[in-house]
Amino acid sequence: MEKFQFGVEPVTCHAWNKDRTEIAVSLNSNEVKIYKKNGTKYECIHTLSEHTQRVTSIDWAPNSNKIVSCGTDRNAYVWTLNGNNTWKPSLVILRINRAATFVKWSPLENKFAVGSGARLVSVCYFEQENDWWVSKHIKKPIRSTVTCLDWHSNNILLATGSTDFKARVFSAYIKEIEDKPTATPWGKKMTFGILMAEFGQSSDGGWIHSVCFNKSGDLLAWVGHDSCVNIVNAVNEMKVTKLKTNFLPFLTVMWTGPQSLVTAGHDCELLLFRVDNSTNISFIKKLGEANKQTESKMSAMDMFRGMDKKASTAKDTTKSSVHQNSITCMSIHTGDKENTTKLTTSGNDGLMVTWNYKSLEAAAGDMKI
Amino acid sequence: MAATLRPYLDAVRATLSAAMCIENFSSQNVERHNKPEVETKSSKELLLKPVVISRTEKEKVLIESSINSIRISIAVKQADEIEKILCHKFMRFMMLRADNFFILRRKPVEGYDISFLVTNFHTEQMYKHKLVDFIIQFMEDIDKEISEMKLSVNARARIVAEEFLKKF
Amino acid sequence: MAKSSQSRQFRKVNVDEFDENNFVDDVVEDGQTGPDEGEVTNLLNAKKNTEALKVVLANRPVGGGHQLQAKALQLAVRVLSVYRSNEIEAAVKSLSKDEIDTLMKYIYEGFAEPTDKSCGILLSWHEKAFAEGGVGSIVRVLTDRKSV
Repeated sequence: MEKFQFGVEPVTCHAWNKDRTEIAVSLNSNEVKIYKKNGTKYECIHTLSEHTQRVTSIDWAPNSNKIVSCGTDRNAYVWTLNGNNTWKPSLVILRINRAATFVKWSPLENKFAVGSGARLVSVCYFEQENDWWVSKHIKKPIRSTVTCLDWHSNNILLATGSTDFKARVFSAYIKEIEDKPTATPWGKKMTFGILMAEFGQSSDGGWIHSVCFNKSGDLLAWVGHDSCVNIVNAVNEMKVTKLKTNFLPFLTVMWTGPQSLVTAGHDCELLLFRVDNSTNISFIKKLGEANKQTESKMSAMDMFRGMDKKASTAKDTTKSSVHQNSITCMSIHTGDKENTTKLTTSGNDGLMVTWNYKSLEAAAGDMKI
Repeated sequence: MAATLRPYLDAVRATLSAAMCIENFSSQNVERHNKPEVETKSSKELLLKPVVISRTEKEKVLIESSINSIRISIAVKQADEIEKILCHKFMRFMMLRADNFFILRRKPVEGYDISFLVTNFHTEQMYKHKLVDFIIQFMEDIDKEISEMKLSVNARARIVAEEFLKKF
Repeated sequence: MAKSSQSRQFRKVNVDEFDENNFVDDVVEDGQTGPDEGEVTNLLNAKKNTEALKVVLANRPVGGGHQLQAKALQLAVRVLSVYRSNEIEAAVKSLSKDEIDTLMKYIYEGFAEPTDKSCGILLSWHEKAFAEGGVGSIVRVLTDRKSV
């Protein structure tokens, strides 16, 4: 496990480059900062300041080496590294009038999707003749802010989660730039913007905080504010399974193996879940709890000083978890959704942690079935 | 009476930690704004169910939550007129200085004596579990404080009365 | 100047409310009529407290009007107050996860309409249900939209 503290400000989001030597982060401000790894330390090598309000999401395309960032100023920029080692922004015409909340490159990196508070998703692609990024809107039937997105591995389907309590799968097929898609278990007809599937009921409550397709794209997992983990299986007649947990709501979910899910959120901890062949979900354990020192004897002087200054007798104020505040962003450091070896998380405590997922999972014991 | 204080505070603590799961969220009604949804109540899907925890009919806590803010309102036990006056004066004193308390609201919600407004900016700057501790501590101390004040007011009144009656 | 030009009546109209993209709750109407009072009373008389509790928990009315909910709540509080304080823990342990969630919902509903007697009982039930269901069960009370 490697830890790095960026400062006291929350880390809104982070994104790695392809070889994991550089990381783009937004520290709750209007700037995107790129840090280069140097031993165990990170050094800030670029500051991308084009946004005028808080940056909400960043994604770094591994192969084309382009960064896309979006913010509450309703804009998104695509950044490209030019010859003299500077990042050049180009504005994306999103045509939205509320904050942009989430951005993600498609697997083939020829388009990306931006979720927004304008109750829509902009799917953006590059228009060669005008030399700019244009967008198409997916609007119906989203009724509230889009909080999260994930691309299907076929580069066409797009899963969204929003604060209207629903997780949806849309087609984001853009006929101008790609070939006609082949049928998937999610459906055959894939004209742009068509709703392939919709899950969740508003009566159950719980804003959707994160959605994640598995590697093959047949399973979709999502987590919401009702502390539940949900999975739908497109191959098995869209069967939805749901696990109610005892924890605080999760903010992010990730497939780390064919049958493993990792979630993190307001509990400040990584939780491992197992999914069996009929997509039943079970909780395995918390990953990597920090070993809190056993309560050492407090001297009388310390006690009185504590009572005098802080009106408390407890010695320290830290939680037993590694992160001290909500984990807001999780990404795969090494490996992929089928076989993850390292995970990176960042949270509101300004901390970024890279976890040796493989060894933690092995420590969880009988994971493999 | 005191026997029920512990479970009451425990219930409040549990509910507060469940409610204090908030995130930065830009307004979806006003462009480029960020407002506490629990105050503006502009979109109903962003509000959670308000819950009350009551120890007696008069002594209760209202917790209203939303996606980026929560509002905690406390009704303090007021057994008689003098406690009512003391409570009112004390709360007024604090609310006039609300800026120094960060999470204190300048006005209580109707039907309650004092309100706190916690937004995502507070939970980002401070430990969430410490914020919960603070509110619990406040609730513990407020009862103590008021009964102490009541005692000293009564004692003072007695001395004043004695001094006055010496003349006769 | 015309009198109506000084009218500020129109300012009370919130135009955002009429945005057709606004969120609308799904309509849930599952035709629940709430727990059967006679059945619960019979079970209580037969000292089958936990079964009575399960009946109440299984038939929590959603929607169906305020009156129905108030009646179900009253019945639930009655069942809960039958228990002695040392029996609560065992009763909570015998419940399933969904039932604990429902119990929590009843408890919070009960807090909203406090009587001097019910508060103490609900607080001790809350303590035990929380120990079993964790914060998750409270989170699901908060996010439940059926009885908003």
